[in-house]
Amino acid sequence: MKPIKDFVRQFGGSISLEESLIVRKENRYFLINEKLKKLITKDFFYVGIYLGKTRKGKFFPSFNLLSMIAEKEANKINVDKKTAWLFICGRDIFKQGIIKVMGSKRKGNYTLILNQHRECLGFGRILHNLDEERGGAAVKNISDVGDFLRREK
Amino acid sequence: MSGKEFFVGRYEKLGWKYEHSEPKQAIRINVMNTKKADIIKRLEALGIELEKIPFLENGYWIYHSKFSVGATSEYLLGLYSIQETAAQIPATLFTDLKDKIVLDACAAPGGKTVQLADLMQNTGAIIALDVKRQRLTALSNQLERCRVKNTIVYHMDARQASRLKIKFDRILLDAPCSGNFATDKEWFSKRTIKDVERNAKLQREMLTEATKVLKDDGEIVYSTCSLEPEENELNINWAMKNLNLQVEKINCYGEKAPTNIFGKQLDSSIENCRRIWPGQTQGFFVCKLKKRVDTL
Repeated sequence: MKPIKDFVRQFGGSISLEESLIVRKENRYFLINEKLKKLITKDFFYVGIYLGKTRKGKFFPSFNLLSMIAEKEANKINVDKKTAWLFICGRDIFKQGIIKVMGSKRKGNYTLILNQHRECLGFGRILHNLDEERGGAAVKNISDVGDFLRREK
Repeated sequence: MSGKEFFVGRYEKLGWKYEHSEPKQAIRINVMNTKKADIIKRLEALGIELEKIPFLENGYWIYHSKFSVGATSEYLLGLYSIQETAAQIPATLFTDLKDKIVLDACAAPGGKTVQLADLMQNTGAIIALDVKRQRLTALSNQLERCRVKNTIVYHMDARQASRLKIKFDRILLDAPCSGNFATDKEWFSKRTIKDVERNAKLQREMLTEATKVLKDDGEIVYSTCSLEPEENELNINWAMKNLNLQVEKINCYGEKAPTNIFGKQLDSSIENCRRIWPGQTQGFFVCKLKKRVDTL
């Protein structure tokens, strides 16, 4: 539970997760409901909503968790269509592609990346203060939904 | 007993004349994640031309697309799934899926599991099994991408489902099968009647286990993408006699299944099954089974 809470906090947000409904399978975390709780046995492979995994002390969120954070108040950036496409291809974000910034604009902070439909495409780290006029990449891509395709390769 | 001539000869005896077929690519909109009108508009704006599949509520054929429909952000966000046309039929045949406990006995790679979750509106619970561990990762990726919330996945052979100690309201048995030539160009050169018989035996074992874990008023939908009657009509005829199952009437695309297979007369209710010969879709067989009322 702590790795998830710590991760969410980095976006300046919080989500309420019922601790008794979070199950762990090795290094992976899942959110379940009461119905699944009654049915599940310990040898499951996957259950409910996948939240993410820890590896070498670091937490790697699922896209479901990122979407849950995006539904609440948190650091978020809306990007234009072309930038959204480049982002899911693994590219960083340039300032010209940013439509709106919500929450932190500070260098070093994590922010969620949303498309024009306010759907969460992934997250990144702000590379320089977003209220400063500077060239180059503004947000470094850390994880994006294009990962579903890359996993299949 | 193998080769194109042998198998095509069998199809002719079942009343179908062989013709080359190339099934159209199809998608299914995940209505739990988006509104149909919205996603159609978005895909059309990307230059993807869709054609509604007349016999499927949420299914569309890709009429024209400049790029892969598996590489759009809408796909990656789980707003639709790529799912072969005939393969979209089985999950739609259950009555009243909401809040039910459903077994998807051979679930990977998960297209039908996601469709079940969509039809259930993420209520109830799906227990999804697959015997091949490496395929569970593909299944899990589908569930995550499509934001499915109501599924438990186990690495398990469907023939051991009673180990779960759960009685199911609905069971989807999309059984491992010999496949068909419409989706595999090498099919005729690699399949023999021995493969078909081996698969038919495995399917009967799965049907036996599914019947064990089915609630008295539950439903089994059995499907294969095989055209071979041993895996279809003959297996269902066997299940009627040996497992006290009855074949329910269904209303879906496909022809009434033949009740005379190579001279062997089957129970007349076998015609309630549907056989789909390759054409707009791949080859397919589907039916709905219930426990016989007089045996309860």
